[in-house]
Amino acid sequence: MKKRRKKIHKEAKWPRVVSLEERDEVLSFWEERFGIPKETFADYLLLSTAKNYWLFVKPPELRPLQNLQVQTVGLLFTRRVSKWLKPTSTALQRFGHLATRNVVELTPSELDRLRRERRLPFEAELEEGYVVIKCEGKVWGCGLYAKGKLISYLP
Amino acid sequence: MLELNEAPAYFERYREIIPRFEEFLEHLKKPLPLYFRLNELKCPREEIVLKGLERQGVKVEPVPNFPKFYRVEPRDFPLGNTEEYYLGYIYPMTLSSALPVLALEPKPGEYILDMCAAPGSKTTQIAQATGDRAVIVANDRRLDRLAALVANLKRLGVASALTTIYRGEVFPYGVPFDRILVDAPCSGEGRYRQGYEGELLYQKEGHTNLPAIQKGLLVRAFDLVKVGGIVVYSTCTINPEENEMVVDYLLRKRQAEIVPCDYPLPHHPGVTEWEGRVFHPDLAKAARFFPHETESVGFFVAKIKRLF
Ligand SMILES: C[S@@+](CC[C@H](N)C(=O)[O-])C[C@H]1O[C@@H](n2cnc3c(N)ncnc32)[C@H](O)[C@@H]1O
Repeated sequence: MKKRRKKIHKEAKWPRVVSLEERDEVLSFWEERFGIPKETFADYLLLSTAKNYWLFVKPPELRPLQNLQVQTVGLLFTRRVSKWLKPTSTALQRFGHLATRNVVELTPSELDRLRRERRLPFEAELEEGYVVIKCEGKVWGCGLYAKGKLISYLP
Repeated sequence: MLELNEAPAYFERYREIIPRFEEFLEHLKKPLPLYFRLNELKCPREEIVLKGLERQGVKVEPVPNFPKFYRVEPRDFPLGNTEEYYLGYIYPMTLSSALPVLALEPKPGEYILDMCAAPGSKTTQIAQATGDRAVIVANDRRLDRLAALVANLKRLGVASALTTIYRGEVFPYGVPFDRILVDAPCSGEGRYRQGYEGELLYQKEGHTNLPAIQKGLLVRAFDLVKVGGIVVYSTCTINPEENEMVVDYLLRKRQAEIVPCDYPLPHHPGVTEWEGRVFHPDLAKAARFFPHETESVGFFVAKIKRLF
């Protein structure tokens, strides 16, 4: 069986620090979609590798750290999926409790079914797109709401 | 593996060091209590976790003087199978294992190196203690163990750590570390008890020379930390050759001093003499924790300041 965990590479490169525009694009997405203000992430840098954005604490100076050969840096925050931005479940589990919109509250049995079947017929007064999945006060992660369905992106 | 009836003979050489030796031996027959640390980074409302666990028939009580630590009954409850664990709200961890980070006193904005970090119980504790605002370099030389560390950082939602896979002895210079934790590989005698499934590394025939590795790690940590900075050296073993003798080696080679430290568990001064060898008097300021006095794993902790 293949383990999904083995994503560690010996020669992993330092992710690049994104430009101010790119940072603003990603943080604006979080603000507009979920109502989580950009300032929430003021103490963090946004880094990027390929199609992934990572959140990493803002160090006094980055230069000395960049001389280290790193395996991972920070928390996987957002991904670029074709032309959209998609929040990771990891990031939503950490920051999703701050969301004020596009939050889906499921009952335990609905959550169960969503996790098992990966989708659920679902009608709600929501904009289509990515949503925060919550159940009994706990944030489980990311889902996609579209066309009367809820699709799971839970790990 | 050491059988329980062999324990008295094995630990006999520590009779002088271990207070109330017979009581210690008796204590090894009992299992340890179960604890977890609650992760407020991911769980802003503690009662969600506490109520959730109680609904599963678990009794949960806060531990005095250990912020965020809870004691769990029954002690064989499989915390690792719970939703609370899966979502990263809790980290099961024995109580004494929290002491090295209490000694380290990491602050937001500081550069911290956790030199032997996997699987990350202390790295994640540092992240919590600094509100995810310190710059943590979490290193371990073993790839398989690093994978477990990375998984725990993700599970707990830590954004303030990066991971590296160096041999600590040759960790590169260049980052002005304020504090370094050396939670060294050790023979693990402090963990030993009935039904213990690990092994006492020191006993293994032909095993690598642990004290030599530990000295290499500690000296490198000292050379990496900035002047005035702090290095905490800890092990979960009783053997003075892996504890006081390692720190003694540093104190003789470098300009360092041991800083006294308050701990919320009963402890004893480090030994200053062992099998005819006399150690630096500062070692009395190091701390020894014993299983029967702490209801936890035995530990050694020395908080060291770089003077020059
Ligand atoms: C006592 S364990 C660390 C436990 C960890 N600090 C925690 O609290 O979860 C010691 C670790 O040191 C690592 N190690 C052993 N030799 C090393 C070396 N030369 N350099 C760096 N790490 C090493 C081992 O792989 C092991 O994970």
